[in-house]
Amino acid sequence: MLLFASYIFYGLWNPPLVILLWISTIVDWITGKKLAIEENKRKRLLWLLLSMSVNLGFLGFFKYRDFLMDNFTTVLNTYGYGYQSTHMDIILPMGISFYTFQTMSYTIDMYLKRTERAKTFLDFALYVTFFPQLVAGPIVRAKDLISQFYEEKRATLNQFIWGLFLLTLGLFQKVVMADTLLSDTVDKVYSSDKILNFWDAWMGTLAFSGQIFFDFAGYSTCAIGIALMLGIILPDNFKYPYASLGFSDLWQRWHITLSSWLRDYLYIPLGGNRHGVVRMYAALMITMLLGGLWHGAAWTFIVWGGLHGTYLILERLQRQYIPFKITKWNGMFLAFTTFTCINITWVFFRAREFKTAWNMISSMFYFNPDGEKVLGSFDILKVGIIIGILFLCHWFMRNTSVEAVSKKISPIVLAVVWAVMFFLVAIAQGSGEQFIYFQF
Amino acid sequence: MNLKKTFIVTAILSLVVIGTWELFWRYQGIYPTLDDNEALWAVQRARVEKISSNNVLLMGSSRVLFDMQLDEWEAQIGIRPIQLASVGSSPLPIFHDVVTNTNFAGTIVVGITPGLFFSTTSPDAQPWQWPQSKVDYYKKRTYAQISNHMLSLPLQKKLAFLSDDQGIDGIKLKELIGKINIGNRVVDPMPPFHEFGEIAEDRNNVMKQITVTDTAYANSVIKVWQFFMKGAASGPPPDKASTMTFFLNDLKVFEARGGHVILIRCPSSGTLRAGENMGVPRANFWEDLVKQANVPSYHFEDYDNLKGLICPEESHLSEEDAQYFTTELVGIMKKDGTLINLKSTNHAL
Repeated sequence: MLLFASYIFYGLWNPPLVILLWISTIVDWITGKKLAIEENKRKRLLWLLLSMSVNLGFLGFFKYRDFLMDNFTTVLNTYGYGYQSTHMDIILPMGISFYTFQTMSYTIDMYLKRTERAKTFLDFALYVTFFPQLVAGPIVRAKDLISQFYEEKRATLNQFIWGLFLLTLGLFQKVVMADTLLSDTVDKVYSSDKILNFWDAWMGTLAFSGQIFFDFAGYSTCAIGIALMLGIILPDNFKYPYASLGFSDLWQRWHITLSSWLRDYLYIPLGGNRHGVVRMYAALMITMLLGGLWHGAAWTFIVWGGLHGTYLILERLQRQYIPFKITKWNGMFLAFTTFTCINITWVFFRAREFKTAWNMISSMFYFNPDGEKVLGSFDILKVGIIIGILFLCHWFMRNTSVEAVSKKISPIVLAVVWAVMFFLVAIAQGSGEQFIYFQF
Repeated sequence: MNLKKTFIVTAILSLVVIGTWELFWRYQGIYPTLDDNEALWAVQRARVEKISSNNVLLMGSSRVLFDMQLDEWEAQIGIRPIQLASVGSSPLPIFHDVVTNTNFAGTIVVGITPGLFFSTTSPDAQPWQWPQSKVDYYKKRTYAQISNHMLSLPLQKKLAFLSDDQGIDGIKLKELIGKINIGNRVVDPMPPFHEFGEIAEDRNNVMKQITVTDTAYANSVIKVWQFFMKGAASGPPPDKASTMTFFLNDLKVFEARGGHVILIRCPSSGTLRAGENMGVPRANFWEDLVKQANVPSYHFEDYDNLKGLICPEESHLSEEDAQYFTTELVGIMKKDGTLINLKSTNHAL
């Protein structure tokens, strides 16, 4: 039933592309089956390579084909070949980056004998297709999800109500915070072709940092809530990332299921920290560059990943050469510094072109004091208050959770908070803006 | 954590607060209206795929949307036309879409608002971008979007607080927040704009009665037209050559497969009409188009029973006048025999 519902859910977007899901499912099911019984190392490796070729092949063709061709053409034409590539304007299958990574994790874990083979094909198919997290995560490991499908699940009343609360919270984050309160400010700043004023550049970027957090964390919270209403438990994907104390901490708090995927299936296989400092830094940088590319087929995303790789390397150098103890006094300053540095990277994530990104960065570093003003005073005040509250919330919540806090407050207070969120969602709903991460 | 208690209190509170919010806006004179969005347009566009050459399509800008009343068309010819006009738009992208992507070979009535029709063929310009976004939405709409629209319609019809009006009349959270202004760091030169029309599920659109009865309301809309006219005067000149070529090419293709086009010029009045006479004079634009297109054409100023109509906000007719205008205009078309693809009905031509 759930599997059927999941295919319907995906088919409501684009029915023919369900075939890709089926192919991924069948290939990885067969691969998993073979890996479970095959002992010959060479054959095991070949099965793994087959699965990865299919999954990465889909990803490469649908997501990166035009990007690779454009760059190939640019390189050829630099040497005067006059080559012209054909743009295919391929539809990017929704959630392809998420479900290919999820199925690959199963196959790689099977290859490394870290997980049991799925008991039935239908359980495995549901693992690939489970609708709440199919299109934008969390990216769940087989051992955490498939076993939940083995027995009939029915949510308890408490699970159902808490799932409904999380669904409301997620919608509130997406509809009210991201779309209603922040998106217009971001669009106004980032669609401007002018050199902007210091305040406008900063406020546009801060608004985007809020928008992308609320948008993506909102989706994850909805997914976790809907799954819980069905009695299925999904892992957390965000843990108050804007109060991170440094960048290692950030990647344990932001898009946790992707960063742990990259750590387990890319950083560690590349050598991790087992082969000396230089190799470790190279592994870090490659992981973050590819992590950037995962988000989108553009050089701006690669630069975004590169900046995060650089931050991580600098942080390790600091720990080695100028270590200091984090106290409650310097902690907030460190969190604020980390948050500020994150905002610099968001510029490259949001800007469609390098020209826009450079203009924004130069304005943010006060190189354009006479830059154009595009935001009204209220916009600046609104973003300042929202992002200020967001930062403080993350700071005070960094070692706890919504569930833990809700257990401490009275049911009536929780009900008032819930009703206010529901009311604001109801009066804010519009024609429906897509979740940003759907395009990844 | 007593979740059951929390849930019950939440449900009661939510019902009370949302109910109060609905009553508050009803008390303020807001009533349920449909959103004239891409989804609503796409439903009408989808109908074009299934209709025969007996049918009529209406295209153009808001003047066709306000001034062509579907009930009156139906009463006159026995067929309810499909309303594909789009506010603030050139009809060219939608005409091009129907000519290129369908087999429709019936009658298309194209409304000519000279400032928009002759404005541009640039895909980035608003008169092109707006209708093109509707066409693109139709081509790419998913089953999820279709279902979403179908599910939202009953709610839009019942709940006033879901009104999707923009700007000064907007009551959604984003619009309410957007009205807050502190200081004058950035000045928006555009005067406040009232939504002065309301649309039905089949996109039959009428002017709100308040536009007719409240002069201040109508004047605020006129100020917006004046703002646009100033912008047009200081902006790029009309691109008559490329717009005409684009239209005439499509017209040739459409006529070759048996289709018929009728050009109409709906009324405008007051300073707006004077501005049009200066910016896009009839002789240079309308007359030239009619001559080159060589299709039946109707200019409101050419008919004694049409030229006296006054637009309350200078650009569109009131509901009553729109009904009169439609009846009269279709009557003239019938008399002229220009609606030649229509099947025989009691109102045979």
